[in-house]
Amino acid sequence: MKNYSFKMNRINQKLQEDKKLLSIYFTAGYPNIDDTVSIIQDLEKNGVDMIEIGLPFSDPLADGPTIQDSSTAALKNGMTSEVLFKQLKDVRKTVNIPLIIMGYFNPMFQYGVEAFCEKCQELGIDGLIIPDLPVDVYHEHYQDIFEKYGLINVFLITPQTSDERIRYIDSISNGFIYMVSSASTTGAQSGFGNVQTDYFERIAQMDLKNPQVIGFGISNNETFTQATQYAKGAIIGSAFVKHVTKYGANSVDAFVNKVLNG
Amino acid sequence: MKLKVCGMKYQDNIEQVASLQPDYLGFIFYEKTPRHFDTKIPEISEDIKKVGVFVNEEASTIIEKVNEFELDAIQLHGEEAPFYCSILKTTKLFNKPVEIIKVFSIKDEFNFDVLEQYEAVCDYFLFDTKGKLPGGNGYIFDWSVLNDYPSTKPFFLSGGIGIDQIEDIKKFKKSEASKYCYAIDVNSKFETEPGLKNSSILREFINKLHNRKTMNYNVDEKGYYGEFGGAFIPEMLYPNVEELRQNYLKVMAEPNFQKEFDQLLKDYVGRPSPLYFAKRLSEKYNTKIYLKREDLNHTGAHKINNTIGQILMAKRLGKTRIIAETGAGQHGVATATVCALMGLECIVYMGEIDIARQAPNVARMKMLGATVVPALSGSRTLKDATNEAIRDWINNPVDTHYIIGSAIGPHPYPDMVTRFQAVISEEIKWQLREQEGRENPDYVVACIGGGSNAAGTYYHYLHEPDVGIIAVEAAGLGVDSGESAATSVLGNEGIIHGCKTLLMQTKDGQITEPYSISAGLDYPGVGPMHAHLSKTGRAEFMSITDSDAMEAGLELSKLEGIIPAIETSHALAIFGKKQFKPDDVVVVSLSGRGDKDLENYIDYFKI
Repeated sequence: MKNYSFKMNRINQKLQEDKKLLSIYFTAGYPNIDDTVSIIQDLEKNGVDMIEIGLPFSDPLADGPTIQDSSTAALKNGMTSEVLFKQLKDVRKTVNIPLIIMGYFNPMFQYGVEAFCEKCQELGIDGLIIPDLPVDVYHEHYQDIFEKYGLINVFLITPQTSDERIRYIDSISNGFIYMVSSASTTGAQSGFGNVQTDYFERIAQMDLKNPQVIGFGISNNETFTQATQYAKGAIIGSAFVKHVTKYGANSVDAFVNKVLNG
Repeated sequence: MKLKVCGMKYQDNIEQVASLQPDYLGFIFYEKTPRHFDTKIPEISEDIKKVGVFVNEEASTIIEKVNEFELDAIQLHGEEAPFYCSILKTTKLFNKPVEIIKVFSIKDEFNFDVLEQYEAVCDYFLFDTKGKLPGGNGYIFDWSVLNDYPSTKPFFLSGGIGIDQIEDIKKFKKSEASKYCYAIDVNSKFETEPGLKNSSILREFINKLHNRKTMNYNVDEKGYYGEFGGAFIPEMLYPNVEELRQNYLKVMAEPNFQKEFDQLLKDYVGRPSPLYFAKRLSEKYNTKIYLKREDLNHTGAHKINNTIGQILMAKRLGKTRIIAETGAGQHGVATATVCALMGLECIVYMGEIDIARQAPNVARMKMLGATVVPALSGSRTLKDATNEAIRDWINNPVDTHYIIGSAIGPHPYPDMVTRFQAVISEEIKWQLREQEGRENPDYVVACIGGGSNAAGTYYHYLHEPDVGIIAVEAAGLGVDSGESAATSVLGNEGIIHGCKTLLMQTKDGQITEPYSISAGLDYPGVGPMHAHLSKTGRAEFMSITDSDAMEAGLELSKLEGIIPAIETSHALAIFGKKQFKPDDVVVVSLSGRGDKDLENYIDYFKI
């Protein structure tokens, strides 16, 4: 069960590039049910390095109001695991950057964890982020399945995570570590103070085997630049969802340009 | 190896122990022991042999007792001579054949030569420890003495055997000395007082003796009830939940904690709550119905048992800020109450729709000094309030304790809440013994939303197979109506609010909104303990519609002068659905009072 199945994984390849990575989260099926693929294509076209496709859930307890609302709307639009998989059927014909599905565990559990993973591999999905699947449960029950289908599972750490647990998470991970910038749900703040930068530094000095990507609280060029001083990359979620809420799915270029070029 | 339980005295206790199916039950017909048997033997399984124990008794008395009590064996515990045994062996005066067991007491050594003259006149030998009294001394003799056992006659091993000797017995069974050991004889080490056996320890002993793995209905060391439970939480919550997990049992075991908890339950909550025999209701349904009056607690429901426990826990963990979720407002009020009592900041999350429906409880919380925050997301009811409380906890990981109101959430919450609510069944046990002369009813009944009053009502009966467990869910407008909260029927396995359990959801895994007229029962999941009780069949799940519940609430009001909460009315409605036997003792948890539901009752019955 070692790394053989990962040698072609786009996430690992991307992490080896000599640049800071911008990753964008968006909610699938939002603002309109059919926006999913066009948003993915536009994000890549405008220079985004990695994409988290949010699979909406009725009870997203790690998310703030912005992503909650987009999830509720997407579900109302008719988004389901089935629908998302149908939409992504041909995505690899046009898109080359790493694609990660981010969602809560229950919808995957209902689909069947193995069936879900198999489908992901078939469509060219590279990894999963499942905030409410704890690392020990993954390790004990699901790691073999994920590895069988060549999927990278990404775990979160927070300022409260102990060094010992970070080392444990590092040992189970084989892509990157999702570093939550502060104790919060998504979209809760803007800008980083000393508390955050001390924490970023502390983790940077731990010399972990997996690179770190910072998320939560990144919203613009300033916070992106600040975060990537300490980490391989940064993830923007709520700010992007807010943007498409306001300007629609066709406005991806404006947002990404502003983040990358200030 | 057979098992004999000796020194039985009380009728209920005899039935209880008989339900564990020992091979022999011993009754001591010797007046100088506190275990002296002087009542009747209730009807027990014919597979269990009844043994009369006698000490230097007249043969005629023995014959009389054997016939009167239909004994299957006699155990001679005095200095009975071989000739005397031979009289009993050959007499035709017994109504049926009787086995003769002759007792020999061993101190450190034993002269086995004495056995020879008894070989022909006894069926078994029994080796006991030599002590001041004939039997019941509680000391073990050195079993290796039996290495020199010269006979082939099967014998009983006796003397001070308790649950601590399990390993010794297993070792003994493998040794040469046990070759003719026919049975183990136990007595005083399983007693709570002379003659009264603790059946749960006895059960554990029997299971261990037979290497039987029993079904465990409590949480295991990993936080699961069978396949349900666990802690499916985002990493952001890990430190909070882990801190609680590592400390909750330790804190609850502290004598100071126990003392403070018990004191507050007594002086502040008003416990013990009465166990009331509902005479007129019993007459109507031709069975014996007892109501456990949790409605008489301060704040009007069982909820406060848990909030008292958790606020003390929060204080021990150094927390200064309390958050809670509430549906109808009962748990919110109970939390605001204990926060006022302890002078801690209190924030209660409540769905926007529920705030509008439950104005009096919102006012109560505010009077008690709590801040009520509307949950505006999702369906704006209980499950969304729970999400908001969890989000608050993510954002305030250090100083805040989250008081969950039901037996749900990530481990250790379901277990912790259950343990705080377990005072309900703890009291039922002794109260029922006072009133019925037995601790175990035939049934315990409770309504289930998340299931905290049910968990507390069942807790001490989970492993008592003679106690039937009935869980009553809200069927709403009918199980198949699409407007229901009957999770055990409509739900399947999934993850909600941090645990794996049964929940109502779409095929795609989205959690659906349940419906019940009772705000306390319309939760889309059940606690993981109940999911396990349902899956294993340990509990019988029944669903009751709005209309049946409302009628049952009105009926209790008219028959007993008690207006129950609508949640509780669901539990009461089972008497119209299920026939109990006239001498069945059925204990119903009267989980809350109906004041809060007056408006609903008024609307429904056009009062």
